[in-house]
Amino acid sequence: MKKKHSPITPKKALRLLRYVPLILWVAFWGAALGWIVCASLSTTKEIFTNNLLGSGIHFENYTEAWKYNNVPHYFLNSVMVTGISCLLIVLIASPASYVLAKKTFLGERLVMNFTVCTMSIPQVVLIIPIYIWFIKANLVGHLVTLIILYTTLNVPYTVFFMTSFFSTIPSALTEAAMIDGCTERQAMWRIIMPMAMPGLITVTIFNFMSIWNEYFIALIFANGNDKIRTLSMGLQNMITSMTYTGNWAGLFASVMIVFLPTFVLYLFLSDRIVAGITGGGVKG
Amino acid sequence: MKKRNKIFIALNLGPTLLCFLLIFAYPLLRTILMSFYEIPAMSSPMSKWKFVGLDNYYAMFHNSLFLSSLKNIFRIWLVGGVLTLGLALFYAVILSSGVKGKKFWRSAIYLPNTVNAVALSTMWTQYIFQTKFGLLKSLFTALGIESLAKINWTSPSYLFWGMLFSYVLGSTGYFMLIFLAGIERIPGDIYESATIDGANGWTMFWKLTLPLIRDVMRTAMTLWTIGAVNFFTWAKMFSAQISATTVTPVYYLYNKIFGTAGGAGMGTGTTDVGGGAAIGVFVALLVLVVYFIMNRLLKREVYEY
Repeated sequence: MKKKHSPITPKKALRLLRYVPLILWVAFWGAALGWIVCASLSTTKEIFTNNLLGSGIHFENYTEAWKYNNVPHYFLNSVMVTGISCLLIVLIASPASYVLAKKTFLGERLVMNFTVCTMSIPQVVLIIPIYIWFIKANLVGHLVTLIILYTTLNVPYTVFFMTSFFSTIPSALTEAAMIDGCTERQAMWRIIMPMAMPGLITVTIFNFMSIWNEYFIALIFANGNDKIRTLSMGLQNMITSMTYTGNWAGLFASVMIVFLPTFVLYLFLSDRIVAGITGGGVKG
Repeated sequence: MKKRNKIFIALNLGPTLLCFLLIFAYPLLRTILMSFYEIPAMSSPMSKWKFVGLDNYYAMFHNSLFLSSLKNIFRIWLVGGVLTLGLALFYAVILSSGVKGKKFWRSAIYLPNTVNAVALSTMWTQYIFQTKFGLLKSLFTALGIESLAKINWTSPSYLFWGMLFSYVLGSTGYFMLIFLAGIERIPGDIYESATIDGANGWTMFWKLTLPLIRDVMRTAMTLWTIGAVNFFTWAKMFSAQISATTVTPVYYLYNKIFGTAGGAGMGTGTTDVGGGAAIGVFVALLVLVVYFIMNRLLKREVYEY
């Protein structure tokens, strides 16, 4: 099909033109994020006089933001809540997904429909009774509240995702193991679960990102109490106080502290994160 | 053996079913029930509830702030939806057309979606839209368009559109991935034979790609609608105090139930719990209606390929 043409044909021009929107996107976000990085290392005066990094790198913005605003505490809260929830979600959801993918039983369709429905119920229609419950149980103000909510609210999507993942693993493996004398429980945990690891990791990264960045539940259950504030809530408070005190350099340093962990994770795992969105259907 | 099998199934499903019942089914039913009652405070026992029928819903539709919130989510849904899905489809088509470095571009376009919404909206309000050193100001000044450079994007008259624009750019990546996955499922030989038949890229997009990703389009539209109906974080971040310009139903509910008392809704202050429940039920109904309409409008048609 190759023809001899002058270097720039309309077709070739169109081919190159495709890169323009891509470059524009990267340029825009690159400029915005790059500026924030520079601003977070400058002084407030430099930010206002358009002279970023004029007096060298001020790393103390980070150390100050880290020290004076309870950031280590917020950070630890976020790590604990996110870590424990992610673990619990997998422990609860994966056995259920195994059963849904591999067994036939009465009410199977019902459970599957339930999973899909719960994935798209808006949280606002659940939140009032749940709030009253937790108040009555005297749990508001404890990290446990966030862990319970993040775990349960993310189980449906994880079940949905893992069910489609388990159905790609041949049932013959379980059968073979059971002929060799395993119980089905042993076969599930020792043979199928290790094989399902890629799926479990993908869905866990996905859960990790959404819990780490969660806002609505955290605002209701964790904002009133400094002890259990997550990083997003902490950032929100830091921003409010720093716009009052006019500490813009500190403000952008705080933004970076929240931005960096997920960014680093994304740098290394973007392929898996992408798979988490498109692989098992789509989160509702 | 059969009994053991049943126990195995029950044990594995148990915790998940418990989640469904405790965190989804029970609160849902309870909220629906509450929406028909006048409930003076969060702590009120059921004996203090007063049945008022549809009064809570009636009051809701006669509240100007709530009506503003409906107008706002409609605009978010329509304008934001066209822009986001259009932009996402545009980028998905580019990425599926065999560009070099596809993985890099794909990751770059999705990147904003991984950023914490609080951090991302701060970036917009405190930097990009900033009136002294903001990105838009510098950009328009550099381009010599003074009239645009002067605009304060976070002033009341521009706040809504500023918020919507930043939300659109923040969500494009997610829908781009959905579209891209849909397009890449279409086998290449269909395009090959179309090319042999003389179709150009434009025709192929409208006659082949678009019809073949109908299902994906429906999913994307449903997801967008759910996002618009539940719109909250950006509204809250763009205006810390509730205002008619950016209020959404969820923000309205949050403010009514949790906001005023600072999250201490069990105090002595009165909270219109029934009215809040009615908003919740309304939002859920909207989602339900959307599902129904989407399923009707874009009926599942199976193309064999």
